[in-house]
Amino acid sequence: MKRRDFLKILGVGGVGTGLGYFFGKASKPPAAELIPYLIPPVDVIPGVANWYPSLCTQCSAGCGIHVRVMEGRAKKIEGNPLHPINKGKLCARGQASLQVLYNPDRIKKPLKRRGDRGKGDFEEITWEEGLSLLSKNLTALSEKGETEKLYFVSSQTRGSLNSIINNFMASYGSPNYMQYELIQNKNLLFANHVSMGLNNIPHYDIANTKYLLSFGADFGTTWLSPVNYSFAYGQMRQGEDGIRGKFVQIEPRLSLTGANADEWVPAKPGTEGVLALAIAYAIVEDGYYKGSDAASWKALLSEYSPKDAAVVTEIAEGRIREIAKEFGQTRPSLAIGGENLARYENGMSGIVAVNILNHLAGNIGIRGGVIPNSNGSRTIDFKNNINALATAASASKVKTLLVYNTNPVFTTPKAMKTEESLRNIPFIASFSSFMDETTAMADLILPAHTSLEDWGDDFADPSVGHPVVTIMQPAVSPFFNTVGIGDIILSLAKGIGGKVKDKMQWNDFSDYLKDAWKANYSKDKDMLASALTFDEFWNQLLARGGWWPADQAKVKSVAVSPKGIEAHIAKASSRFEGDEKGFPLYLTTYAHSSYLDGRGANLPWLQEIPDPMTSVVWGNWIELNPKTASNMGIKEGDTVSVESPFGKINAHVYLYPGIRPDTVSMPIGQGHSTYGRYAKGRGSNPIDILPFKEDPNTGELALNVTRVKISRVISSEKMVKIEGSTKELGRNIVQTISPDEFNKMNKEVS
Amino acid sequence: MAGFLERITERWKVYREPGFFKKLDHKWTMVIDLDKCNGCGACVLACYAENNLPVVGKDECAMSRAFSWLRIERYIDGEYPDVKVKFIPVMCQHCSKAPCETGCPVYATYHNQDGLNVQVYNRCVGTFTCATYCPYDVRRFNWRSYKFEQPLDHQLNPDVTVREMGVMEKCTFCIQRIRAAKDKAKDEGRTVQDGEVLPACVQSCPTGAMIFGDLLDPNSKAAKLAKSPRRYRLLEELNADPSVIYLKRVMKEGPSKHG
Repeated sequence: MKRRDFLKILGVGGVGTGLGYFFGKASKPPAAELIPYLIPPVDVIPGVANWYPSLCTQCSAGCGIHVRVMEGRAKKIEGNPLHPINKGKLCARGQASLQVLYNPDRIKKPLKRRGDRGKGDFEEITWEEGLSLLSKNLTALSEKGETEKLYFVSSQTRGSLNSIINNFMASYGSPNYMQYELIQNKNLLFANHVSMGLNNIPHYDIANTKYLLSFGADFGTTWLSPVNYSFAYGQMRQGEDGIRGKFVQIEPRLSLTGANADEWVPAKPGTEGVLALAIAYAIVEDGYYKGSDAASWKALLSEYSPKDAAVVTEIAEGRIREIAKEFGQTRPSLAIGGENLARYENGMSGIVAVNILNHLAGNIGIRGGVIPNSNGSRTIDFKNNINALATAASASKVKTLLVYNTNPVFTTPKAMKTEESLRNIPFIASFSSFMDETTAMADLILPAHTSLEDWGDDFADPSVGHPVVTIMQPAVSPFFNTVGIGDIILSLAKGIGGKVKDKMQWNDFSDYLKDAWKANYSKDKDMLASALTFDEFWNQLLARGGWWPADQAKVKSVAVSPKGIEAHIAKASSRFEGDEKGFPLYLTTYAHSSYLDGRGANLPWLQEIPDPMTSVVWGNWIELNPKTASNMGIKEGDTVSVESPFGKINAHVYLYPGIRPDTVSMPIGQGHSTYGRYAKGRGSNPIDILPFKEDPNTGELALNVTRVKISRVISSEKMVKIEGSTKELGRNIVQTISPDEFNKMNKEVS
Repeated sequence: MAGFLERITERWKVYREPGFFKKLDHKWTMVIDLDKCNGCGACVLACYAENNLPVVGKDECAMSRAFSWLRIERYIDGEYPDVKVKFIPVMCQHCSKAPCETGCPVYATYHNQDGLNVQVYNRCVGTFTCATYCPYDVRRFNWRSYKFEQPLDHQLNPDVTVREMGVMEKCTFCIQRIRAAKDKAKDEGRTVQDGEVLPACVQSCPTGAMIFGDLLDPNSKAAKLAKSPRRYRLLEELNADPSVIYLKRVMKEGPSKHG
C-alpha cells in the first residue's frame, strides 16, 4: 500500500468515527442524568432508604412524620415515633400527602392569565417574569400610597411562615393579613377564652378519662388532632390500668367516632347546647357539684331544667339525669364539644356549655380531664376574617390579593358571593400548587413548594400539656419548577425594594428559620442545656424532627365562673333557615374523613379508599334514615335533589339507620369544579346551598344552619359502594362481649 | 476430602429429622383488638402506599375490582335509635391450613418457613382457583395491567413488585419488611426481636389496635395477647386455622339506651 492510500483510508475512517461519535451522542440520553457513584452523595445509596423527619401539613394538628426517601424520591410517609402528638402513627390523609408531591395535576411553572378571569386560560412564564410582575404591581400600589389595599389570605399558619408573612405585610404597610380555612376552631378558641381565659386550645386528656361525653366531636377522623385522640381512645378503652372508659356520643347523626360509642344520644339538631346546660343543671340540683357557688350556678341555669329540656331536645328527662349522674360521679370524666356542636348558628355558646359541664364535674386541670396548655398563646384576629375580605373586595377596597394554600371560593356558601367579590379585585396572585377554585380566579400563579420540598416549623395547637414544635425540612429536592413560599416572599421584598427590602434581609427562608431558632435557643434554658452550640442544637432538632421537653409540665387549673359567662349562654336552641313545611329536613354537614374541607379530593388514594362508614368511593352522598326514605319512596342509590332556600344540588342517597329521621347529612369535600382530574366534577358541595351565617363574636361560618327538602331526580351517574350488605347474616363476624363480662374477666386475669 | 463430606452430611442431618419441613422458623401472627379499632381507615391507605396497590378508578370499583388487600368491614345492626356499628379490619388471614393452597395447580401459593401464606407472582397463571377457595374474600386479581399515572409512579416502593395483568395477589404481611428485619438480624448475628417487624398497617394504626409478632416467641406482645380470653378467629368453624387473631369488641348486648 502506498503511503497516500493509507492516509486516505485513515482520513475516511477518521471522519466515519467522528460521525459515529456524533450520531451516537445524539441518540443517547445526556450523561448529566447519570449519578456518579465514584463519590456518591451521602444520602444516595441505591436500595438503601433514608428517613427524614418532617411535619405533616394535611390538617392543622401538626403531626411529626418520617419520610422514606430512596434515590431522591419520597416513597412512604410514616409517623415520627418520638413525636408526642402522633407517637409514630399517622392517619390516611397524612400518608396520602405523597400524592400531593407527585400529583400529575400540580402546577409545574409560574402561570399568567391569558383569557378571561376564571376561565382557566393561562400561559407559562418564567419565575423572573412572574416575580417582577407581582413586585411591580406591589410597588405601584405603594407609590400610590394604597399599601393597605394589599390583602394576604393564607391557611392557618403558625411558626416562622406566619411570622415572615406578618413581617412582610407590616414592612409593606398593610394590616390585612388574614388566615382562613373552613375548619379553624374559632368558636372553640373564643369559648375557651371567655369561659376559662385560655388563649389556645387545651389538651383534652381522652387517654386517661373514665367517662367521655362528646357533643358531636368526630375526634377519630377530623376534630383538632385526630391521630393523637385516636391513640388516646385506644388507651381509654384498653389501657394499661385495665379499667375501660365509657364513651357517650351526643349528635343527630352518628359519626365514625360516634359509631364506636357505648351509647348514642340523638338529640334534636341545634339543641345539644341546651342539653349540655340541662345536664349541668342536673349536676348542680342532684348535688354532684361540691363548689360553694352552687346557688349562683343554679340560678344561672334555672331556665334549663331537665324536664323542660326534654321537650326541646327530645331526650327523656330520666336519661338526662342519668348522664348527669354518671358524668358527675365518674372520676375523672371529660366533656368535649366538637365541630358538629360548634358549627350551629350559636355554636360558640354550645362550647361554653360544655366548659360549664367540665367545671361543675371538676374536670379542669386534672389528669383525664381538660389540661390547659402552657405554651405560647395564639392571637386570633376574630374580626379579620374571610367575610371582611369579601366585604372589602365588594367595596373595591382591595387592589391586590395574595392567596396561599386556602380555597375560600370552594369553602364559603354561594350566598356569601365570594367569587363575585373576588372579581372586583384588580389583581389576584395565588401561590397554590394546584388549580383550585380560588387559584382559577387568579391573574398570576406562582406555585409554591409542597410541604415535602420546603422548610418550615409548627407550634402544635392543641398541644399535649407541654409545648411541641415540629420542624419541616425538605425530604426531596423540588420536583417541578416551584419555589418555597417563604422564598417567594423574600424575593418579593427584594423586588419591591426600599424599606421592605431593608427589613427583610435574609438570603432565603431557611436562613430566616434558622435565625428564628437561634433566638429561641438563646432564650430557652432547656434548649441551651440540651446542646453546647447552636449548630449542634440545630442538627439535633433536624434529626429528632422538632423540640419538646422530656418531662410533662405541671398541670395548672383554671376555673369557670358563672359571672363571666352569663352573656355567652344560649337562651334557646339554634335556628335553622327555611320553614318547616316547605323544607322538612334538617341538613347537617361534616368534614369528610378523607377530603377534610375538600383539599384531599385531588388525591387518587383518598378517592379510592372507601369511606369507612358507607364504603362509598369516588363520590359523595346524602345520608337518609331508611324510615324517612321509605315514606318518600326513595331507595338507596337514587339520585335526589337537595334544595334549601339558598340553592339546589344533586346527591346520591345512602340509607343510614344512624341518623335521626328528621335529619339528613352530607359530607364536605367533593363537588369541585376544577382542582385536577381526580377531583373535578365529582359529586356536589353541600356548602353551596348553605345560607351565609357567621358567629357574630368569632366570624366562624355556621355549617348546620338550614333545612332542606329532597325529591327524586333522574341521573345517569351512579353511586359506587365497595361493601354490599351491612348485616352479618348470622356469620358472627364481629364477636362481642358485654362490659360486665369484660370486667369479670379482667378481675380473673389480675 | 473425607472430612469435607462428613461436614456436609453432618449439616444435612437436620433435614432428615422427622417433622423438619413442618417446623417453622417463625409463626407471624397479627392480633387485632376490635375494642380499640375505630374504623378510621389509616391502615388501608398504608397498605396502598407500601405495596404498590394500583388505583383502579370508579368504573372498576363498581365491578368490585378495588385492590385493597386490607379492608375495613362495617356492620350496622338495629333500627334508629338502637343502632350498633361494628368495624373489623380484614386482610389475608394467613391460614395454617389454607384452602387456597390446596387448589393452586401451579403451586403459586404455598406456605413458607415463616408460617406465611405466600404468593409467587411469576408462577401464577391466573386460574382464579385460590380466590374461589378463599373463605375470607381477600385475594385480588389483576384484570388488566393497571397504570400508575406519571409522575405518581415515582412513589412506587422499590421493595415490592408491580404486578401485571393475569396475576392473583393478596396481603403478604409485608413480607419485604419481614425479610429486611431477618436479614438485618442475621447480619448482626441475632434473632429477630419483638417489635422489629411492623407491617405497614400495624405501623400506621392510630389507635394501636393492631399488634404484630412471632407466636413462637412466648415473650412477644402478640403471643401474650393471643392468649387473651377475648380471642377469637374469623369463621373459625371452617377450620382453616388463621394466623390473624381478633379480640372481641366490648359492647352491650340487647338494645342500647337512648333518648
